[in-house]
Amino acid sequence: MLDNLLLGFQTALTLENLFWCFIGVVLGTVIGLMPGLGSTTGVAILIPLTLTLEPVTALIMLAGIYYGAQYGGTITSVLISTPGEAASVVTTLDGYQMARKGRAGAALAISAIGSFIAAIISLGLLMALAPPLAKMALNFGPVENLAIMILGLVIVVSFAGGSLARGLMMAAMGLLISTVGVATGFSNARFTFGNVDLLGGIPFVEVMIGLFAVGEVLHQVRVGAAAPIKARFRDMVITGKELKNSMPAILRGSGIGFVLGILPGAGSTLASFMSYGIEKRVSKNKANFGKGAIEGVASPESANNAAANANFVPTLALGIPGGGTTAVLLGAFTIYGLQPGPLLFETNPTLIWGLLVSFFIGNVMLLVLNLPLAPVFAQMLRLPYGYLYPIILLTSLVGAYSVSNNMFSVVLVVIFGVIGFVMKELDLPVAPLVLGIVLGPLFEKSLVQTSALGEGSFLILLQSPIAVVVLVLAVVLAAGPAVARRIHERRTSGARSRQLTR
Amino acid sequence: MNESAQRRAGIAWDAVLGAIGLYAVVSGFGYQVLQENGEIGPGFLPAVAGGLVALFAAIDLVNKFRRTPQHDVFDDDAALIGDTAAITLREETELVGVDIFGRSQKQRNRMLLAVLGIIIATVALVPLLGFLISFGLMLLGCAVAVERRKWLPSLIVTVVALTATYLIFVVLLRVPLPQGLLGLI
Repeated sequence: MLDNLLLGFQTALTLENLFWCFIGVVLGTVIGLMPGLGSTTGVAILIPLTLTLEPVTALIMLAGIYYGAQYGGTITSVLISTPGEAASVVTTLDGYQMARKGRAGAALAISAIGSFIAAIISLGLLMALAPPLAKMALNFGPVENLAIMILGLVIVVSFAGGSLARGLMMAAMGLLISTVGVATGFSNARFTFGNVDLLGGIPFVEVMIGLFAVGEVLHQVRVGAAAPIKARFRDMVITGKELKNSMPAILRGSGIGFVLGILPGAGSTLASFMSYGIEKRVSKNKANFGKGAIEGVASPESANNAAANANFVPTLALGIPGGGTTAVLLGAFTIYGLQPGPLLFETNPTLIWGLLVSFFIGNVMLLVLNLPLAPVFAQMLRLPYGYLYPIILLTSLVGAYSVSNNMFSVVLVVIFGVIGFVMKELDLPVAPLVLGIVLGPLFEKSLVQTSALGEGSFLILLQSPIAVVVLVLAVVLAAGPAVARRIHERRTSGARSRQLTR
Repeated sequence: MNESAQRRAGIAWDAVLGAIGLYAVVSGFGYQVLQENGEIGPGFLPAVAGGLVALFAAIDLVNKFRRTPQHDVFDDDAALIGDTAAITLREETELVGVDIFGRSQKQRNRMLLAVLGIIIATVALVPLLGFLISFGLMLLGCAVAVERRKWLPSLIVTVVALTATYLIFVVLLRVPLPQGLLGLI
């Protein structure tokens, strides 16, 4: 472990990696505070810019955007009650109220401090958990891998929100999209309609840029601009008492965030809502929640940062992305010619540990940047969206073009942009679709290998105890929420009928 | 989008996805679902995934016709937070009338169509005008024609954005952006 940490510091502390880490966290903060631009969009748009960099440098920068956006998202939540990131939605409840009372500075400060503490705690846990998990996963064969991918898909669908049928429909659609092109393990071309550009499959980066960047722009144009409410920075100093009162909330938020963040698909948003809900129940200051309680900012902000780091546990150890942004990052690994998953810990420790240590360095940079410079970042909000979105469109489309030097990529981005927009309008979950597309080729490979091992029979899945446990877990997770809801509905209707008969 | 329009659009979406799913099932059998030795073939995943898409699209469609109340993530959030805060948040985040520029929903719908039209026209113009000129026109079109911004600032933003794009992609990353028939930049 110590050797690996040393290796990580040696890698992350080179001048080049420090520079790109800094660029990543600054861009991430800016991207996070722009309403309509999230970390997923930011990472997707900027992947093409990193193609000339070394893989480790590129991933350090992209990861910097990811956790930088968690900090940036808070600024808009507090100042204009418009979360830049879904994970910062709940911060608007107390953060904005604090801003209205002239305590915007304190809200941003506790958010930066809480985020930093949560990041360091979760980073320690990530470093402790991911390697042994990866070591265990190294013993997995195609059968176990297939079971884990089924579990990953089920978890993402379960936590995506909305109805289970819609989540499953989108996950299956993602798998179907991944089958376009030459079949994995075979030589047949599928769904290419004679188009040579489709032989290599539907490229991942173009799909992501379309779904997240262009889809979001179209959605924002339709939604229209919301009224910004200005907050003053009269009091930028956080008091020692406020910091002391917030510590239990920060620690609880970090724990909740990490546990939920490990689950693929649960992600930062659920973690922030869950920690806020729990904090509201256990806090000594519960009466002030919703009216500007500092714990109401500290808890969800710590949770979403802890979850962001915890998302990397399944991503790095199993090759199953923890959420939307880590799915895009996983796609970036493959673009740089790396096979994400447990083998990376063995074959490329420099990259893995360099990346992990860069999280620590990046979070220190973010704390130093955000404490004094939050008001400066907030000035970015003055750029009217009417100028911003054409620039986002330009960056997205030129970025997509640069991946393959082919206008077909641009056309694909536009098509998936429209699909992303429709999905947003219809409230359809994007995460299952993304995971289906990312896991599709690996899923098919495992299917082919498992079928070959079982000589055509998938009953071989039942011969592996690990696969059986994982599949049972998948069934429980798939059916659990529906059963719980049914029980809750019965109880509620029972209580109502009892009240009526009284 | 009001509730009935969203419902109609949802039904159309399910129908389209269902049709795609069924097409994938048929194609999957064409690609060979099982090989002669009983192992899965190249058509297996398309057939299974297509079948699942069609099945879940049908279930979603049935749910819509039965008007099953949607289980919504906001409801979960409200339950977690334990008060009306999340519900208020939902009301605030949903579309409500005019935006800060006084544009109605109808106007914004027209803007959306205009932006889409401009994007498609831009892509179509690239072979003729080249990448940068076409996208420069897109920037100007969106800012001036759609957003009703003033000419001069729009022009400045366009020139700055195009210069940055040129420096980053053409000079730094050496991406050969199409110059079109005009061959200017």
